[in-house]
Amino acid sequence: MSQTRRSDREAQILRLRHAGEDAAARLPALQAEARRIAATVAPGVHGRRRSGLGETFWQYRHHQTGDGQSDIDWRRSAKTGQLFVRQNEWEAANTVWIWRDGGPSMDYASSRRVPTKRDRAAVCAIALATLLTQGGERVAALNESGRPRSGAHGLERVSRHLAIGPGEAAAVDAPALARHGRVILAGDFLDPLETWHARLDRFAGFEARGVMLRVIDPAEEDFPYTGRTRFRAPGSHDDILFGRAEDARSVYQKRWSEHGEQLDALARQRGWVLVTHRTDKPASIPVMAIYQALAGGLAT
Amino acid sequence: MITLGPLSFAAPLALLGLLTLPVLWLLLRATPPAPKQALFPPLRLLLNVKDDAETPHSAPWWLILFRLLMAALIIIALARPSWGPQAEPGPADDAPLLLVIDNGWSAAENWSETRRLAGQWLDQARRDGRLAALILTADHPDRQAPLRLDQPVNLDRRLQLARPQAWPAAYDLAETRIREARAQAFLPARMDVIWLSDGLDQTGQDAFARELSDLGPVRLWQPEDGRVPLAILPPEATPQGLDVRLQRIARPLPRDVSVTALGADGQAIARADTRFAADSGEVHLSIDLPLDLRNRITRLQIDGSNSAGAVHLLGDQWQRPRTGLIEPEGEDGQPLLSELHYIESALAPHTELVTGDLASLIDNDAAILVMVDSARSDDDALSEFVEDGGVLLRFAGPRLAARSDDLLPVVLREGGRLFGGALNWDTPQRMAPFDNRSPFAGLPVDVSATIDRQVLAEPGTAAPDRIWARLEDGTPLVTAERRGNGWIILFHVTASPDWSDLPLSGLFPRMLQRITGLARTSDITPATSGAWVLDQILDGNGQLSRPGVSALPIPDEQWSARDATALTPPGLYRLGASLNTLNIATARTQLTAMSADLPGVRYMNGMIRQQIDLLPALLIGAFIALMADILLALALAGRMPRLPRRAGNGLTALLLAMGLSGLVIDPASAQPIEGSRPQSVEAALSLRFAYVETGDVSVDQRSREGLTGLGFDVRSRSAMEPAPPHAVDPAVDELIFYPMIYWPVLETAQALDTQSAERVSAYLQSGGLIIFDTQDADRAFTRAGAPHPGLVSVLESIDVPTLSRIPNDHVLTKAFYLLQEFPGRYSGSPIWVEANPDGASRDGTSGVVIGAHDWAAAWAVGPNGEPLYPVDGGDRQREMARRVGVNMAMYALTGNYKADQVHVPALLERLGQ
Repeated sequence: MSQTRRSDREAQILRLRHAGEDAAARLPALQAEARRIAATVAPGVHGRRRSGLGETFWQYRHHQTGDGQSDIDWRRSAKTGQLFVRQNEWEAANTVWIWRDGGPSMDYASSRRVPTKRDRAAVCAIALATLLTQGGERVAALNESGRPRSGAHGLERVSRHLAIGPGEAAAVDAPALARHGRVILAGDFLDPLETWHARLDRFAGFEARGVMLRVIDPAEEDFPYTGRTRFRAPGSHDDILFGRAEDARSVYQKRWSEHGEQLDALARQRGWVLVTHRTDKPASIPVMAIYQALAGGLAT
Repeated sequence: MITLGPLSFAAPLALLGLLTLPVLWLLLRATPPAPKQALFPPLRLLLNVKDDAETPHSAPWWLILFRLLMAALIIIALARPSWGPQAEPGPADDAPLLLVIDNGWSAAENWSETRRLAGQWLDQARRDGRLAALILTADHPDRQAPLRLDQPVNLDRRLQLARPQAWPAAYDLAETRIREARAQAFLPARMDVIWLSDGLDQTGQDAFARELSDLGPVRLWQPEDGRVPLAILPPEATPQGLDVRLQRIARPLPRDVSVTALGADGQAIARADTRFAADSGEVHLSIDLPLDLRNRITRLQIDGSNSAGAVHLLGDQWQRPRTGLIEPEGEDGQPLLSELHYIESALAPHTELVTGDLASLIDNDAAILVMVDSARSDDDALSEFVEDGGVLLRFAGPRLAARSDDLLPVVLREGGRLFGGALNWDTPQRMAPFDNRSPFAGLPVDVSATIDRQVLAEPGTAAPDRIWARLEDGTPLVTAERRGNGWIILFHVTASPDWSDLPLSGLFPRMLQRITGLARTSDITPATSGAWVLDQILDGNGQLSRPGVSALPIPDEQWSARDATALTPPGLYRLGASLNTLNIATARTQLTAMSADLPGVRYMNGMIRQQIDLLPALLIGAFIALMADILLALALAGRMPRLPRRAGNGLTALLLAMGLSGLVIDPASAQPIEGSRPQSVEAALSLRFAYVETGDVSVDQRSREGLTGLGFDVRSRSAMEPAPPHAVDPAVDELIFYPMIYWPVLETAQALDTQSAERVSAYLQSGGLIIFDTQDADRAFTRAGAPHPGLVSVLESIDVPTLSRIPNDHVLTKAFYLLQEFPGRYSGSPIWVEANPDGASRDGTSGVVIGAHDWAAAWAVGPNGEPLYPVDGGDRQREMARRVGVNMAMYALTGNYKADQVHVPALLERLGQ
């Protein structure tokens, strides 16, 4: 009897441990994929290409009024007799806040051939975090990883949150970030447009802008359902029964594209960039797009 | 019941249920399949989408059709259909069934078919709702079930238990039972009678059939031609062996049969084939056998036939013919001079000897009469005896030499012949090898036996086939003649050593033994009077077993008139020391076919074509369809996990395997080896050492640790990979699995009991190695030269050969490492091995190594490989001790392989040149 109970308990502990290991196992997998993507993207992008605070040499230029005496590079000036100022490349670290949506609707993949939206969003977010960290920026998981961090260690912390953190909606409803921060929001943006309107307003309050990565599942766009089908949203008990699902397709697709357009309009209106990504497409495409958008956006 | 051609329905009203199918059609059309389920995150976008098709399209037509088919299957099954021709109905078709089954010995051949038919009839009765009664015609009178009407199911159960009996059917008893049952109204007046007979004509059948036909028309089945009963009749002795008569009911088909003769130990001694010709009911079969082999036969049986009639048991009269020694008048009572003494000595082991005067011997049914010269007589009774088939064995002597008589195989010259006398230039003669045609053929001639005198046959009177033995010069020594049914055999010398050395030689008893083989079968007359009691019973399948039924003793005087019945079943009967057999078939047995005109009987030859009950098949079909429907419904609802194509194949294979596994049930299971611990299975599976448990816990633990350590060393140093050691107890465990056994011997060790000692000896004989270790080299001196008491008692109980101190070139010194000493924890005391190890199976390797060095302590290691016990000479000696252990293990496995090493220098030298 006690034997049985003990073996039951052991089995339970084993189950828990396996579940934990499974969850943790996603982190290295996501990180590895993210690193791979980052590696493919990085060679295509290069530095800020402008002078600024930094340690690496950028250019000499003629001394102009207002330049400090200490800025003059005397060795260079002595060669020509003109005063030159040595400028280093601008290396001021920016802070990028990343939010990866963890809502129930993200935990969805229409088939085994595509990853869940949540995983894909996490991969993209981690890849971006990796790229940004390599570029010297500081990154933070919005409302999760505390203060922004840089370097490999910081990346490790942040990507951990991005991979398996909760990604609550509260983080975008009441974001805690420094002013003028750059923001990456990765989610499916299925909430009503008004909600996002309000949320982006709140970001605007911090003078923060950035990129919205809209991850969509192929089934959400294509609506491949036919016949008598009961639709149920993940994480809720609401359902809708269609006698002929194919009849609803045209209406749905119209509404879907409208939603997308409205979202895009909203983003542009607020100075954000909306990047839409289907999970059956390679993740490197949105990463590249977002990275370039960020690089461009940071200049302004 | 309605019938549609071969299809019939027992409950046709249920078919009305088919009318509900159209309703079902409508219902099924109206009931849609359950919707598919889909997770869909952007559900919000679907809200308020117009869906005018909330009432779904109906179930697909093929699904509806499938379900209707399923319903139809069930409805039809409920109508209890069966397929097959209706058995020809009896006139009183609704009358209860009376099933008469012959289960006498003659039914055994066809029993399975009979039982199948009976089961079918009972099944039919069950389906028709009729009651039935069952009567088995050969049941033992003490164990008959009452003859009542009963449910066919119960009767079927009884039928499963019924077996063919070893005796013939008793129709008179069966007839009485039926009459009594009718008189007491247990059976109704009218019945539907089915008689499954064995096809054999037997007494009382006529009256029985008449009684049956009173109940109603009788339908009778007989076995098909290939399955009619066979019987083996009592064999006749011939000079070549046996003549066996086989009988069957004459049938138009020829049939091959073979007969095997078995000895007492069940060993087949001879076998012969023959064939029943078409329409023939009897065949003779001769089995050629040397006479002494013939006398070992205890049983003849027809191969492939399992009835009691196909077996013939041979009793004492075959093994031990009665031999009468005619007592000479005026015998002087000196045994070594008496001729009969030599004959008695030669024949006593093989025959039953009776001594007396001629008249009493013939009265006593002697099969062989021995007449020496001093007892010669030419009584008419003697010639009658021979004509009747007796064997008369005569020996020559002075009287015969003086005057011959009629009872001789050859004409004798008067006077005889004398070799080697003072006035004679002939030397004593020796015997010539036996002629191939002689019954003595094959016996080795004793070259030392010389013949001094003999009586001579008149030249030309002895045909070559009458001469069974000759002298080297060709004169006959033993002559014989067939006269009437019997034999007259003459030894041309005396039965005493007066005339020759033959009676003193070993050849003499063997010649006489062959002659006894000629004896005809005679009835056994036991020494005591009384009744024969059943000793072993022949069962219905022709097997001998302990009697389980009460059998009547048969008084001796009624023995010859007895027949095998239920009360006196066939088998072996014993009276005093005599063993007699009662067989089913006697010499009078004649198997004839059943009379073709029994009163009131209709003969339904051939098989009943079986009527197949379709109910189970239909229900199974409906069930499978139901299962399939569940899968279909799931698939339509989108709930079936999508199977990859390969998984689909796997599923098919799985279903197939499940189906097959239902068919193939293997009841065999491994039997544990009797009387041994379960570890012997383990021991047999891998190589491992063993140690003998002494009962002293610390010693045993040290042995275990020592062998574990040795196993570790052996594994790391050689290709041998022993498993962890076993503890063995020679009293309980089988030792044969272990190549080497370490045996610590305590001073208090006791001698082994007989069984253990035998086991240990067998182990040594089969090539095992035992290391006896007294573990006391440090204190051996305290015994002041006295032997180790425990070792003495152990070794004394085992068959240990002479021991010697281990020689310097012993294989143990070079089995793996080159060693000169064999240290363990101690060193320096002598090691003993077998002095002359040339046991056949051991190939020159010693089975025992005896020492006192406490090797186990030196080998012992703990779980981390650390040494556990101190060793006298420190680490170096420990290493040497380990090498000793490796050498011992190698020696146990490779034996004298390394002994060849002694030749290596010579071989190398030769190669160098």
